[in-house]
Amino acid sequence: MTLTADRTRKPAADHRGAGKRSRQGRETFVLMLPALVPVLIFSVGPLLYGIFLAFTDARSGRNAVTSFVGLSNFGDLMTDADFWASFRIGLIWAVSVTVLQFLASLGLALLLNEDLRFRSFTRVLVLVPWAMPPVVIGLMWRLVYHPNAGILNSVLTDVGLLDHNIDWLNDFSIALPAVIVVGIWTGMPQTTVVLLAGLQGVPKELYEAGHMDGASTFRRFWSITLPQLRPVIVTITSLDFVWNINQFGLVYVLTQGGPGGQTRLPMLFAYEEAFRYGFFGYAATLGVAFVIVVLAVLGLYIWRQMREAN
Amino acid sequence: MRTRTALAVAAATMAALTAGCSSGGGAGGGDQAAGPVSLKFLSLAWQKESIAANKQLVDEWNKANPTTKVEYVQGSWDNVNDQLVTSFEGGDPPDVIHDDSPALAGFASRGYLMDLTGKLPADLKSDIPQPAWDTVTFADGKGGQGVYGVPFLQESQVIIANKKLLDAAKVRIPTPDSPWTWDEYAEISKKLTKDGAFGVAWPLKSPVNKVLNLGLNFGGTFFTTDGTKATVKVGPEEREVLQRIHDQLYKDKSADPSALGMGTADPLPGFYAGKYAMLPAGVYLRQQVVEQAPPGFEWITIPPLKGTTSEQGATSQTLSVAADSKYPDQATKFISFFLNSTNQAKLAKGDWLLPTSVKAASDPSMTTTENGWDVATASAKDLVVAPYLRVNGFDEWKSKVATPTLQQYFANKITLDQAAETLVTEGDKVLERYNK
Repeated sequence: MTLTADRTRKPAADHRGAGKRSRQGRETFVLMLPALVPVLIFSVGPLLYGIFLAFTDARSGRNAVTSFVGLSNFGDLMTDADFWASFRIGLIWAVSVTVLQFLASLGLALLLNEDLRFRSFTRVLVLVPWAMPPVVIGLMWRLVYHPNAGILNSVLTDVGLLDHNIDWLNDFSIALPAVIVVGIWTGMPQTTVVLLAGLQGVPKELYEAGHMDGASTFRRFWSITLPQLRPVIVTITSLDFVWNINQFGLVYVLTQGGPGGQTRLPMLFAYEEAFRYGFFGYAATLGVAFVIVVLAVLGLYIWRQMREAN
Repeated sequence: MRTRTALAVAAATMAALTAGCSSGGGAGGGDQAAGPVSLKFLSLAWQKESIAANKQLVDEWNKANPTTKVEYVQGSWDNVNDQLVTSFEGGDPPDVIHDDSPALAGFASRGYLMDLTGKLPADLKSDIPQPAWDTVTFADGKGGQGVYGVPFLQESQVIIANKKLLDAAKVRIPTPDSPWTWDEYAEISKKLTKDGAFGVAWPLKSPVNKVLNLGLNFGGTFFTTDGTKATVKVGPEEREVLQRIHDQLYKDKSADPSALGMGTADPLPGFYAGKYAMLPAGVYLRQQVVEQAPPGFEWITIPPLKGTTSEQGATSQTLSVAADSKYPDQATKFISFFLNSTNQAKLAKGDWLLPTSVKAASDPSMTTTENGWDVATASAKDLVVAPYLRVNGFDEWKSKVATPTLQQYFANKITLDQAAETLVTEGDKVLERYNK
């Protein structure tokens, strides 16, 4: 848009130019207004309000008095051991889900890219988890993991791998891995579909050339497929990372952050602070801190990838 | 110029929208006198019999009072407090709210609930003894005190036992007047531990309330309150019950360690199979035993144990009126009807809990020897207000500090000294936020 504006302005570039430019800017603004109002009211407004809350001691209650406390919430956050525990769990969760999900999806996408029988049918089948809301997925997996009536325990017992029932979601050391498995399962369709689309965009000639030069299958994958897929991989893993670290519904349904906080992801922590204990200001601080962390991690990652690509 | 006009228009639109939202809430209050009023009643009944009893009472009320229509809304204990916080903050809470006294303490100090002092009929007030009223009397957050609900159901901790195993071991069957002491109970548990069976199963998945309520047996309060400030205390009195349960698990080996991670009802299949002879539980668990026990299974209810006293910490299920309710008078009237002694007996029977009403407790259905009702009802006399009810921030202490610490202690991963240290230091840090 700026380009076109520049070009049309050029011929009349004299002393009247400045006035014309600002009028055009104004017209653009008026035209954008109908779209801007809902964005301002429903998106920017609450966002600013949230950021504002982060600097107050807002609490729930009809007789609560809110006052401005500056950065003291951030100070509390830095020294809050529970927050750091939750942050650590959040990172373990987001990194392992993103990485494992990526590996599994890449495998699946490569498979689906081959000329197999019933290929279109399988491709549709892969999408099924995508169609399920996180709460339904959570409920379904809770049944799978149920200590006495769950299919997982009964299968493992039948096969002979287990001699007693495991309470997957309530065991201190197993709960987080169990939840991560569900996370991977849930996010696979998106990742697989995007990678598959990327694979289909890789020019066939490259493979033919590689074949001619006698490159092995692995070599072709390593030197042709991966470099060609790089932009897609960067995009989808960064998006996955953001989705995963902000995950709430799935884990809330599965464990509510238990046992003993072993699966308390940062967003669950914020939810508890706000709606269980009533510290709205502190919860908002946590949200703001998390936006900063996510932006920092993503910025670093994308910047490195871009630099390597250049 | 045009930019500024546009901005002004945008600002005006926003102002109009917000005004529209806030006036929407206020307009409803105007037409109070006109037409029949309608109340929302959030009920947390979950057992089948109890839901039926609740709905039946609501129907009865609606037939007798055509001008005040009560709408039954089903809630769930799992998420009721999150749900209530959002609806209180949103300004549209249910008029009549079923909850329990630990939750009321926080809501009362935040001004969400109506103070019922002086608003309840005298016969309801005198029918419920003072210790029960104590479980709903809280600070209002502005320096005063108020009554924020009507207590109607209470729970005491009893022991459900396999009668055949007890008879075979020839142990004394206690009565409410001469209960087992904790020492006697420990001896009996050892005696009952044989042939691969354990004397007792302690399901301690959520250990905090259980341990704190029983702690009073030895005078363990776990908190000291100085005015409005509370601090955690784990002294010799508090350690008694903790140590005794731990001893049963790891010293006497009379308690099954694999039951530790279970919820209260989970050991029942093992109990029916004779794997454990005794099961410490709330009185309501009798309902499941009656419904599920295999034919021919004989069981009895053992009265609460005695330490230095038989006192147990009590909380109550309650009905409250929201401060934002548009029809507080009608809501109070509905509560008075819903919780009269006849109806309390019905509700207590439906939930297998103890009614607070003295008249309801003397109802023949509450004193029959069948299904241990006589023992259960008699245990109500030792219920005193649980000390933690007065502690601001107890909920956070419980979920962040006490639950994981006690779980680790009972799993024998930390010592009693370490557990006590964590409960106090970490706990005081949590409570400090609320003492400000």
